[in-house]
Amino acid sequence: MSALRPSIVELELPLFAANTGWRLAAWLAACLAVTLLLTASSLLIGTSSLETSFGWLLNPDAQSSVILWQIRLPRTVGAWFAGALLGLAGAIAQGVFRNPLAEPYLLGSASGAALGVTLSLLAADASLGGLAWAGKLGVTGAACIGACAAIALTILLSRGVLATASLLLAGIVVAFLLSAVTSLLLLSKPDVWRAMQAFLLGNTGFLSWSSVGLLGIVFVVCLAPAVLLSRGLDALSLGEDTARSLGLSLPMLRLTLLGVLSLATATAVGQVGIVGFVGLVAPHLVRETVSVNHRQLLIGAPLCGGALLQAADLVSRWIVHPAELPVGAVTAVVGGIYLVLLLWRRNRHE
Amino acid sequence: MSEALACRDLSVGYGTRTVLDGLSLEIATGLWTAVVGPNGSGKSTLLRALAGLTTPRSGTVSLQGRALQAWPRRERARRLAWLAQDSGVTNLTAAEVVGLGRFAHSGWLAHRKSEDDAAMRRAMLATGSLPWATRRMTTLSGGERQRVLLARVLAVEAAVVLLDEPTAHLDPPHQEDIARLLRDQAQGCGVCMVSAIHDLSLALTADRLIVLGAQGLVGHGTVREALAGDWLSTAFRTRVDIIEHEGVYLWRPALAPAASVRA
Repeated sequence: MSALRPSIVELELPLFAANTGWRLAAWLAACLAVTLLLTASSLLIGTSSLETSFGWLLNPDAQSSVILWQIRLPRTVGAWFAGALLGLAGAIAQGVFRNPLAEPYLLGSASGAALGVTLSLLAADASLGGLAWAGKLGVTGAACIGACAAIALTILLSRGVLATASLLLAGIVVAFLLSAVTSLLLLSKPDVWRAMQAFLLGNTGFLSWSSVGLLGIVFVVCLAPAVLLSRGLDALSLGEDTARSLGLSLPMLRLTLLGVLSLATATAVGQVGIVGFVGLVAPHLVRETVSVNHRQLLIGAPLCGGALLQAADLVSRWIVHPAELPVGAVTAVVGGIYLVLLLWRRNRHE
Repeated sequence: MSEALACRDLSVGYGTRTVLDGLSLEIATGLWTAVVGPNGSGKSTLLRALAGLTTPRSGTVSLQGRALQAWPRRERARRLAWLAQDSGVTNLTAAEVVGLGRFAHSGWLAHRKSEDDAAMRRAMLATGSLPWATRRMTTLSGGERQRVLLARVLAVEAAVVLLDEPTAHLDPPHQEDIARLLRDQAQGCGVCMVSAIHDLSLALTADRLIVLGAQGLVGHGTVREALAGDWLSTAFRTRVDIIEHEGVYLWRPALAPAASVRA
């Protein structure tokens, strides 16, 4: 008898497990709860030694009110959005490149942003006209433009978005090239170099309500198309040819998602500098805790990334209180340790 | 019986290497056609070209009498399904993978309709993969995974199905299951099944053979024609012995069992 002949019992088998929806919902709810908790805690912790009590929170004086509503709240909300953008960008990068080690900066955006900021700082340093120009653009604008230019250069070098390997290679080349240029430019200007460090290590200290608004708008603009195209990423996980044979337009999928990736990364880098590891770790954390398809991953990774950057921001303010650490240093240490643990656990399983 | 898939003067190559040169075929519907030939003879290349995944240097491929490029992408994907030799590692569940076969029917946003569910269920029942529908692909064995991927191809419910080595990595009894499935689908559902098959004995159970050699097409016809013309020996450029045993064709290795066994 053939093993392929179905039994009567088989005819009733379900296609999808009934409990997957609930597990995912519980996980997302946990993420949101953590976010709310972190938001509340971050209102209480900061450089200025305010009375940290909930009574003070409810009844602040004028100065505390400014610190609370104009500095701490936009900072933590902005950190969430920036982390969410990085988480989303990381999930997209890992899906598009079919590589769990892909991360938001792999198209050279970080080095581009650094060069953009360097150029604007040097221009401000050099002449009055440059100062006016750089002032108008701001650090965030310069970073964003630099990141976009670097990604455009990468795509130009690899002559399109279709060949994965050449795209990755071009990204590495552009990253190295722009970093070298940045280093050369900074070599002669130690004071500019010091200002650059704040940006290079990632910094949530510049966040204001206007940046929160920008981050929020970009987040919505990026999340919608990514989730709509998530089925394409599922198909792509079976291989490029299989995806094409299923009737998928690979260039359309790639171009749209790389556009989203670039926009998300450039915006995040512009607002909080080069924060490492969040974009890499957030999708991993989601996949490790709940197994997911891409639609679930693209929703989960931003929630996770947001909470991660908020937490890192909190730690960076609290650990050397009343001073502050650059948030990028915190994410690098925590993210690095997490990846090493992951590696150890994998090795032990094998 | 009519042709579902045809190519005329098809030439395909990579760089300076020409893999297929001026190949013309008409593949009938309702039959299982096995593509056989030595490594590097262009079995995969032929299937990829027929599926429209490789742009030929010259020549045309037509699906149901219409040039492959003239079909709108999604309409073509509803009529022609293709199974890769190696699929990527995916985190999806078996049913999610099979559901991707319905992409050309439902598109980006669509919620699964009842007919999608029915097609998925039929395909998974036919391949015997329904019991592990809710399991992750990463937790399945090689054979189980292959059945899920086969169900993915069948779920498209295409008129033409191209499969690149669907029996690779499977143990012989399961290879036979797959062969039976291909035959049933071709004859029972009137599908044009074309598969590259490495195992000669298995390939000889097909309705038609396409025999490829280093010099291109050796022959296209029934198994009887292939044996009468000794196409396999020509293709493999060495003596290929096929014996008939109780109505079953078997490839007979020339190598005798080891001396230690005979003693």
